[in-house]
Amino acid sequence: MSPWKNVSVLRKLVQLGAFLFLVYGGSLTGYYLEDKLSGALPALSCAYDMQGADLCTLIPFQHQMDHRLGEAIAGGGNLMLGLMPTLITLATFLILFAVLNKAFCGWICPLGTFQELLHNLGQKLGLQRVESLPSATVQRIRPVKWLILLLLVFGLPLLAGIGWVNHDLGDPFCKICPSRILTTLANAESTELYVDSASSSTLVLSILANLLFGVMITLALTVRQPFCRICPMLALHAVFRKLGMPRLVKHAVPRCDRCGLCAKACPMDIREIHSEMQKRDVTFEDCTLCGRCVEFCPDKEVLQLRYLGFPVFSADPAYFKQRKQAQRHWENTTLLDRRKSGTGKAGITPP
Amino acid sequence: MHNSVSAAGAMLLLALALTAPQPGAQSGALQNDNHTPLAAAGQAHSHRRGAMKLLLENAEGAQINLWKPDLTRLPLTIEHGIVTLPATGVDNYHALVIERDWGYLHETLIRYLYLHGKPSGHSTSELTAAEKSSFEIVPDPVPREHQHYRSDQQWRFQVRFKGAPVAHLPVELLSSYGSRLSAVSDERGLVELRLPDDFPQIETGRRDRRGAEFTLSAELSKGGITYQTRLYAEYRVNPSHWHSLELGILAGGIGMLAGGLIGRLAVRSSR
Repeated sequence: MSPWKNVSVLRKLVQLGAFLFLVYGGSLTGYYLEDKLSGALPALSCAYDMQGADLCTLIPFQHQMDHRLGEAIAGGGNLMLGLMPTLITLATFLILFAVLNKAFCGWICPLGTFQELLHNLGQKLGLQRVESLPSATVQRIRPVKWLILLLLVFGLPLLAGIGWVNHDLGDPFCKICPSRILTTLANAESTELYVDSASSSTLVLSILANLLFGVMITLALTVRQPFCRICPMLALHAVFRKLGMPRLVKHAVPRCDRCGLCAKACPMDIREIHSEMQKRDVTFEDCTLCGRCVEFCPDKEVLQLRYLGFPVFSADPAYFKQRKQAQRHWENTTLLDRRKSGTGKAGITPP
Repeated sequence: MHNSVSAAGAMLLLALALTAPQPGAQSGALQNDNHTPLAAAGQAHSHRRGAMKLLLENAEGAQINLWKPDLTRLPLTIEHGIVTLPATGVDNYHALVIERDWGYLHETLIRYLYLHGKPSGHSTSELTAAEKSSFEIVPDPVPREHQHYRSDQQWRFQVRFKGAPVAHLPVELLSSYGSRLSAVSDERGLVELRLPDDFPQIETGRRDRRGAEFTLSAELSKGGITYQTRLYAEYRVNPSHWHSLELGILAGGIGMLAGGLIGRLAVRSSR
């Protein structure tokens, strides 16, 4: 199969381009925050990275909860004025989000790309990898992203602004976000890889951040997208996914019952793509619109990536056969030349 | 320095500049309406939007302008040695530019202030690129929004005369605590200086919110006129005094071990 016809290869190229641009593109856009592209990117591009081209929307949300809304509530000020910056950030986020929907996760996010590359490395090192997490585990993990969104992105910053918790909790998600450590390290800055003994809050958060970063690195070698599963950006995307122009659409056929390749291909272990037989829009809350389910669907046009209702990539038996072969070749080639794949099931684990 | 300049004796002086703060106190000349100190001249983690007051000594005959992010200028007056900085309603860096012309001597003081308000829609690079005075020292760059100058950090500045870089010119840094550094500008008028780590009584492992002032000064003679310029800025204690990279690496390493273990368990349970 020509690599240029392989959607996973094309996606990887887009991801690498986005990674380079978002992590190092400050020289193109400018140094100051006013120079950045949007200031409300629907992907984890970190403001702590001085060389970055843009910053993720979770940063201004926390800041505005703390310094605008929280302070307006505490000071008895005009709540609408306190809320206005958040609404402006949300509007900017939504304008961008509408264009790519949850594909910001699957195609743009630097942290998602990093985890995919790590998983590729695990495969190339011949490590035994997890094909799919057990359904019960997936179900248990799913609420965590909502908790982080509500508590760390909105809740604690708001309480810090009101004055009910200390100001070190004004941006708690940034303090634990692996993207902060990754993107600064990528710029040869070790200044974010620290334990902060300024207060008990910063001590706990900084230890947690480094632990989480370490866990993510080694876990991503064997488990697909470990941090993405608990990422609050995924939850925020889920809230507004009906507003996005790209969608994952399914035309279920009876054969779907016996297949399930789509769910096995999904890096987020969304089994509902397989089991859903009624809904047409299957852009589920954990979907990153990576398109792997479409690639590995063997039936014509059962799964489609659509943009504004127009199909841009459809399941196709001929593509499936070629893609499966390409996947088998990929799986059987490791750096250690063990001639076996981690999971042993060609066509499922990511290239 | 020329004797004539030294003899003038009444040089412009921002009172905040070289006053060593007491340990635990903030440098105290920029004040809000209640005359309580504002640590960082708008760079502090504060979003107060009211007017600020600035003490200025020996300022008779000085012209004071507040440059807004869109490069419009707001003329200010001095009353009883106090300059009131009005709330401009615009977010981002502003430049307070104080100039005085003695004929034979042209003095300039500049301070970049982060004021809060509505988004300006202008990059700070526009403000730094603008010629605000004939002879000026320009930060290259100014600490990014929400960032600060920190002790023991390397920062770059450019010396410009009528907008053009001035090469091979001595530049001197003086801190509130008396540290003195000097450097000479290169061909592009750039000097790099490592800010002194001179805060007294720092306790390792304990957060220290103190700020102090530093000034960068330079002097140039052109066409029988001596130009003096000073850049005022605040710097703060470097957080490396309470940040531990070693412990961070250790925590990251433990995390990696834990991640490996969880991965192995996940592989086993998935079989």
